[in-house]
Amino acid sequence: MTDSLKTLAAALLAALMLLTGAALAAEPDAANDSRAVAERVEDLKKKVIRLNRDLFILEEDLLFPASTQFAVFLSVDAGEFLKLDAVKLKVNGEIVASHLYTERQVTALERGGMQRLYMGNLKTGTHEVTVFVEGMGPDNRAYKQAATLAFDKGTETAALEIRIQDRSSNYQPVVSIVEWE
Amino acid sequence: MTQPVVFLARATRTDIGARLVALAAVCLLFMLDAALVNADVAPARAKDPAYGRVLYNYHQGEALKALTLLEVARERGRIRGHGAYPELVEGGLMLSYGMPREARDLFTRLLEETKATDTQPDINESSAGERGADSGVTLAPGIRSQAWFYLGKVFYLEGDYPQAHENFQKVDALVLEESNSELYAEWLYLRARLAMLSDSDNGSYASSHESPRENPRENPSMNASGETLVEHLRAQLKHSGLWAHYLSYNIAMAEVSAGDAEKAQQSLRELISGMEGETPTGDRGSEYRALLDKSRLSLARLYLRESRFDDALRLLGAMPLDGVFSDTALYDYAVAAAEQGQLQRALDALEALSQRTLFLSWREQVPYARGYVLEQLNQPRKALNAFAQASEHYESRGRELIAARQSLTEESLMARLSFLRNNDDIATDAYGRLRVMPSDFGISDVLATEPFQQALSELNELYQVQALLIQREGQLGTFETMLETRRVQRERRSREARFELEQQKADEWVEQKNSFRVEIEAALAAEDVGFFMTTKQKELKARLERVAATLAQLRDGSLGNDKSAERQRDKYARMKAYFDWTLANDYGVNRWAAQKQLRELNAEMQQFENQRAAIEALMAGDEKHNELAGRLIRKGEDIQSLKAQVREAIAQARSILVGRLDKALEQQGRDLRRYLVASRHAQARLADRLFRAGQSTEAANE
Repeated sequence: MTDSLKTLAAALLAALMLLTGAALAAEPDAANDSRAVAERVEDLKKKVIRLNRDLFILEEDLLFPASTQFAVFLSVDAGEFLKLDAVKLKVNGEIVASHLYTERQVTALERGGMQRLYMGNLKTGTHEVTVFVEGMGPDNRAYKQAATLAFDKGTETAALEIRIQDRSSNYQPVVSIVEWE
Repeated sequence: MTQPVVFLARATRTDIGARLVALAAVCLLFMLDAALVNADVAPARAKDPAYGRVLYNYHQGEALKALTLLEVARERGRIRGHGAYPELVEGGLMLSYGMPREARDLFTRLLEETKATDTQPDINESSAGERGADSGVTLAPGIRSQAWFYLGKVFYLEGDYPQAHENFQKVDALVLEESNSELYAEWLYLRARLAMLSDSDNGSYASSHESPRENPRENPSMNASGETLVEHLRAQLKHSGLWAHYLSYNIAMAEVSAGDAEKAQQSLRELISGMEGETPTGDRGSEYRALLDKSRLSLARLYLRESRFDDALRLLGAMPLDGVFSDTALYDYAVAAAEQGQLQRALDALEALSQRTLFLSWREQVPYARGYVLEQLNQPRKALNAFAQASEHYESRGRELIAARQSLTEESLMARLSFLRNNDDIATDAYGRLRVMPSDFGISDVLATEPFQQALSELNELYQVQALLIQREGQLGTFETMLETRRVQRERRSREARFELEQQKADEWVEQKNSFRVEIEAALAAEDVGFFMTTKQKELKARLERVAATLAQLRDGSLGNDKSAERQRDKYARMKAYFDWTLANDYGVNRWAAQKQLRELNAEMQQFENQRAAIEALMAGDEKHNELAGRLIRKGEDIQSLKAQVREAIAQARSILVGRLDKALEQQGRDLRRYLVASRHAQARLADRLFRAGQSTEAANE
């Protein structure tokens, strides 16, 4: 009686082994197919990245010619005295950008990332940029600070950076606007 | 349930599959992250906004955007002031975006470049990732060793063992042990696995030729004492927890394959006893328990093979009912109990198994086995019923399978899957696998296989690329609108400029200038002093002429005093002489002034002419517009070409995916038919037996 069960168990084991064997036999073909598709996907991704790059540059060339291009970046070299919450940017008295930050974005900034807050066009001449930074300061108190910069826009691309830094001398954050050469 | 996946990947001898490269990707990203953070005490300030933007996206996990920005930065000139870090980040991003081959090439190149700096003693963590002017990349030793390790692991997971071995050999053991002990243990484990594979394949990549800077404890001379490399590495792994256990399990499985069941049993017994004496800590508890259960199961099966049913039963009886292998253990338990003659126990185990709702194809044998055990328990009627139920079950399941195979399309396959979503995207686990559950558990087996998961994931990636291309196509459409608007605005401005030019009567001005030039040239040729007179001189001349005319009308003595008119004439003559002398004296100066003015006028006119010509050229044609339009057309063509390639790749991936499922269903069908035939035979046998028994009873009664 037990022989039958043994036979069944053996048959099932054999079937399982056959199944595994078949799977192993089919493995090289399947692996080749998978590899081919995987390589194809990777190649397509590479092409997509290049396409993205070209479209990105094309968009900038189209909308922001180098002679009038004006960009404002934001960086955070802080975190201890200010937890960034929101930023508002004015160019020549007009609000051109405002941004509310998610925790992920704040973390990315605190880890050395730089956000392009605004991209636009400006004529040559003197302009004024003002930034309003809001966040949570020491002891979880709402904190607001502003900075202004008057600068001359020439015929080259202009780029400014809003820097939010911790100042340990007075345990306060400091906001400044600097011009990138 | 991710831990069993980890477990299966480590505890089996089969190839893990390229998808697990994602694991290395995740680890490498962490490693790079650590490298970035370690580079400076405070967050590293981007010295180039382009790099800052890349980091902003990189730290948010936006791999595609960050890679695009890196490409943009490269197109506009290199990122300045960050050495090799942008490339390290790029490699990590490539892995994260599912481009392991590209990343592998990049890391290989970067790490090769560090060779020249290997002997520099003053390299520390703070200078990690710098690129010297001539000396290539400088990576801190700890980071470099980890990078070699991960690169080796990428090759290992891809099944490229010689390359894996080569990269593992470049790891500085002491440095890796000091910088990351967990990685060091994994490194030892993977090297041992390579050595085992090498033994079985007679390959050469595991024949250790340790690097000169390797831990002296690993010196190949130690092998002279008769210790193999695997044993040597195992000894080093002794106190490293799970890695040592994984290696022990794999060694036992290798002994099974080599036909040395006794040694394998001994190895498994030692492993189980060692693991039972430990208390797993941390987040790898479930992985630990899964390995323990798998070891018990493997040992029990070895006992079953040798008909040591008591031992098998004892071992299987100790296994938990809620573990990863509990169902398999339950079935093996039923087999062992039946073999021991404890049929009721076997039936109880099978009853418990038949209550499980989750479909697993191997469990299809349970309905038959249940009937069989009932028959052995001498309950023929119940057994007949059980076999009849089993036949019905197999028939119905067989019909389902045929219907499923006939209507098998990608849509019907997707309808059988339930994807976990994260916003709009399908969620993935740490291995890059899609988080998916089968709505129809008939495909759970095939869904759990690595090639199917990989094919599913690739199809999903292709759809994402396709969606992105459609989005870009739309973007290109808006660019065309922008360009058209730009053209219209330009034409309007051209019309305005043309009108302005007409208003300026530019041609008249040119004519006047030319006529003025001719007059000056003529006066110069004729040395016409009068032509070059100043305004004041001209006024004086006019006054003198008026005086001369007046004097001409005077008669001598008409002024009363007969000498007075003559005196006036003399005076006029003196004034005229002085005036003529002044003119002659000033001629050179006046001529030069006139010529200077003419030159200035010429220059002004030339500038005016140039500007007019430029404006007219601009109005006549727009090179910038044509160049942008040309780029738009080319990119439009690129998108169409890429879309076609993606369509083709999708068709290929889809066919592979559906083909795999079809094969799996076909196999299930074959198994079901076998069970069905066996059930029907048993039914016939039992019916016959009952019929004969009935006849005997009737005969006895008669």
